[in-house]
Amino acid sequence: MGGAHQHVQRVHAEPQSHTAPHFGESGPQGTRTMETIANDYTINIATANGTGSQSANLILLQALFEMGVPVSGKNMFPSNISGLPTWYIVRLSDHGYQAPGDRTHIQVLVNPATWHDDLAALEPGSVVIWNENAKMEMTRDDVISYPVPMSGLARKINPKIAKLVTNIIYVGIIAEMLGIDQEALNSAVAKQFKGKTSAIELNITALGLGRDYFKDNFTKEDPYVVESRTVETPKFFIDGNEAAALGCIFGGVQMLAWYPITPSSSLAEGIINYIPQLRVDEEGDATCAVIQAEDELAAAGMVLGAGWAGGRGMTATSGPGISLMQEFIGLAYFAEIPSVFWDVNRVGPSTGLPTRTQQSDITMLYEGSHGDTQHIVLIPGTVEECFEFGWRAFDITERFQTPVFGLSDLDLGMNRWACEGFTYPDQPMDRGKVVRDKDVFEAFEDFGRYLDVDGDGIPYRTLPGSGMDPILYRGTGHNPKGVYSEKPEDYFNLMERLRSKIDGARDKLPAPILREEEECEVGIIYLGSMENTIQEIDDMLESTGLKVSQCRVRALPFHSGVQEFIRRHETTIVLEINRDGQLYGILRKELPNDLITKVHSVAYSDGMPPRARIYSDRILSTLQEVNQ
Amino acid sequence: MSDAPARPAKAARPVKLNVINEPKDSYTGGKSSLCPGCGHDQISNVIIAAAWENGIEPHRIAKMSGIGCSSKTPAYYLGQSHGFNTVHGRMPSVTTGAYAVNKDLLYLGVSGDGDSASIGIGQLIHAIRRNMDMVYIVENNGVYGLTKGQYSATADVGSKKKKGKVNTTQPIDLCALAINLGCTFVARSFSGSKKQLTSLIKAAMSHKGFAFIDVISPCVTFNNNDESMRSYGYVKENEITLHMTDYIPHFNPVEEVEVPEGHFRDIELHDGSTIRLETISEHHDPSSPMAALTALHEAETTQKHVTGLLYFDNTKPALAEDLGIVDTPLIDVPATSLRPSSALLDELNAALLG
Repeated sequence: MGGAHQHVQRVHAEPQSHTAPHFGESGPQGTRTMETIANDYTINIATANGTGSQSANLILLQALFEMGVPVSGKNMFPSNISGLPTWYIVRLSDHGYQAPGDRTHIQVLVNPATWHDDLAALEPGSVVIWNENAKMEMTRDDVISYPVPMSGLARKINPKIAKLVTNIIYVGIIAEMLGIDQEALNSAVAKQFKGKTSAIELNITALGLGRDYFKDNFTKEDPYVVESRTVETPKFFIDGNEAAALGCIFGGVQMLAWYPITPSSSLAEGIINYIPQLRVDEEGDATCAVIQAEDELAAAGMVLGAGWAGGRGMTATSGPGISLMQEFIGLAYFAEIPSVFWDVNRVGPSTGLPTRTQQSDITMLYEGSHGDTQHIVLIPGTVEECFEFGWRAFDITERFQTPVFGLSDLDLGMNRWACEGFTYPDQPMDRGKVVRDKDVFEAFEDFGRYLDVDGDGIPYRTLPGSGMDPILYRGTGHNPKGVYSEKPEDYFNLMERLRSKIDGARDKLPAPILREEEECEVGIIYLGSMENTIQEIDDMLESTGLKVSQCRVRALPFHSGVQEFIRRHETTIVLEINRDGQLYGILRKELPNDLITKVHSVAYSDGMPPRARIYSDRILSTLQEVNQ
Repeated sequence: MSDAPARPAKAARPVKLNVINEPKDSYTGGKSSLCPGCGHDQISNVIIAAAWENGIEPHRIAKMSGIGCSSKTPAYYLGQSHGFNTVHGRMPSVTTGAYAVNKDLLYLGVSGDGDSASIGIGQLIHAIRRNMDMVYIVENNGVYGLTKGQYSATADVGSKKKKGKVNTTQPIDLCALAINLGCTFVARSFSGSKKQLTSLIKAAMSHKGFAFIDVISPCVTFNNNDESMRSYGYVKENEITLHMTDYIPHFNPVEEVEVPEGHFRDIELHDGSTIRLETISEHHDPSSPMAALTALHEAETTQKHVTGLLYFDNTKPALAEDLGIVDTPLIDVPATSLRPSSALLDELNAALLG
């Protein structure tokens, strides 16, 4: 990460996105010059939840990935087990753009429930691959239409699982239409079904049927093709939750307590799945306990219990879970108990849109629980950082004896991203100021659980069972010895020390990633999964003549570098995926007065992963307002 | 704790030591700030005596509590033990987390009827369900003390506290609840029954699994009037004792054994100690949940309190066995076993690349 802003050379013309049909006056069915468009378009696959479409879609994604094509996949799934609409958006982009893009170029229609809406949303000239057996009509004559009897073909293979096979048929159609290598498809199928021979054979057969059907029945009328690319650094696909899970495993997690909640469950399950491989002794006994709690309150309580006893405890949850954990979060802050909480953000408030993405828990995490609090929040923007912050969170929580949050989101956590591989922790585990030996303990002139010996606001602690400085931990006011106190000076000093402790963490947390332009006119501060859209936003802005610098915040409280970034730039935009501009609000509260007026908010959320056009348009209009 | 012991040591007598050569003072705590005569203080004294007599190293005990009068008491006993006065009703989860990483401590939880029967009933239930290895004492007085005398969920129908109306809301019988959940050690006692309570707490400390003791502990300020069914007077008059209890420690069985008259039943505990139940009024079989529930039901219909070891089961594995973790407490596992090697990460990266 880091380094200068790199512009990728555009290899091909981008399809026109806001204009009339791409094709000549004779219409899509007529003659035209066949200008191919390679690796620069978006495929939208409309299916129903629970029909097995996800594995078909992942095969498509993986096959494109194996050809070296920069590709991203977004699963727009409902909060439902079976039957409700699901869309899977595959974007191919030689620029490396990973956002869903502004429009759909190729639409796959399998689900009657969304048929008309999906069709209506298409721009003229788009490609539609549709299931002829869905008993739905093609109502557009300005699109390139490929009707396929998907269900019928699927039934030929096995009528009992026709619904499942239907999905792989459309992958075969797409493969033939775009020219996806069969080898890449074979490899993707093998990866998806890991050694299950019958499933692999079935899927390869179905893919072949799809391919043949396209070959035998259509003349390619669309411009879209896949061109394989040489990849210098080999990469694999992994989602943020699995990456974070691995990070936690390498961070030495000793206790995971969790309560299932979308979109974080796969983080906890990732840890559970990797324990037998990575965290057992010769007898197969684990060095990490896993407890599925009765609710998020209990999960948080268990995390505190583990931290109090000297272990590395964590939980993974989403916004509603964090809401329930607030009381314990305050206790962890006040009693200074190491504890790690991963929040995979979904759309709030309340139950919100449980399967959609947002960056809306920022304030809740930073200022969680009643009373004056301030918490450390680590904010990964890539799967590599999910891993890194996974292990770092434990070092930081034990170093500062305060709760540490990992803030991911559904987009980063549940979608698959290209990863170069994970980097081994560059430092041994930091267990913080724990006094384990009697000699060390006795060398203290005066020992108090909450005594600021080193002037950094971080006290020393002893562990239950050690017999050293036994105290009764409490959420009530206490003096430096840990004894109950209501004395004004005890309370005031305690709160000031806690403030200075967290303040001292600022520059010890992951620093912001800066990509700066020489002009230093406009700076954009953003966070988390917006990393996957920022390049496209930047290019869109640059196409209007505006060069912007970027500053990706990776932790709260803010690193001093953030303030310096703002100072260097004439105007700064804080870009985030929520309604209220939460990061902007925190920043305004902490900036010196002379910088506050330089900072402006662009916050937008509709539940979808960020689309570059929406944000770039809003940045431009905000800058226009500012300059007026 | 820096506070002075609750009771001044008597000067002249030679200091009596327990089996690990500790004086009783090693088990005392700070001065109580509860109301004089509070049943909870009697329980604290019993805890001190039980831990001392059982010869447990004081620093190997973890004192856990929630919020309320009862939950303040860990400050008044076992001053050499670490403790955690957590949040209201959530002591079981904190204890569970601590236990997961250090299963070798003796977890001694103290809670109240507000803490356990209302706000924390869910956590109590799930700790029982997991057979969490701990002693869980409810100091049960039927009222909220710190908020000045509201009924709690264990207040008996027909009982009347000092101020206010007669309670008409059905109480939750925590012992019946625990038995129904398959709790492996369920007892009820009375803070005024020092001998019975001492042997029950000692037995609970020797039990591997969730040892639940519901102790009727009168609130002298808000619920000790004649119309209350949890006053000292009422409980003394209306207590049905299932059996006399005696505890025979594994380290010194000979000294403690008194030859009983009549029938008795010895129940062996996990550490080799024994709780001896001497039958008094009826033949109660503590291995039968039906017998225990019947005893509770009969007592309730006659507005009495039944005390003793209601139910006992030493066949269920405690939580640690379910967790599938190494024998060494996790906090003592070296860092090299907690962080997989870089070679393993390389392998993993390679495997993911496929």
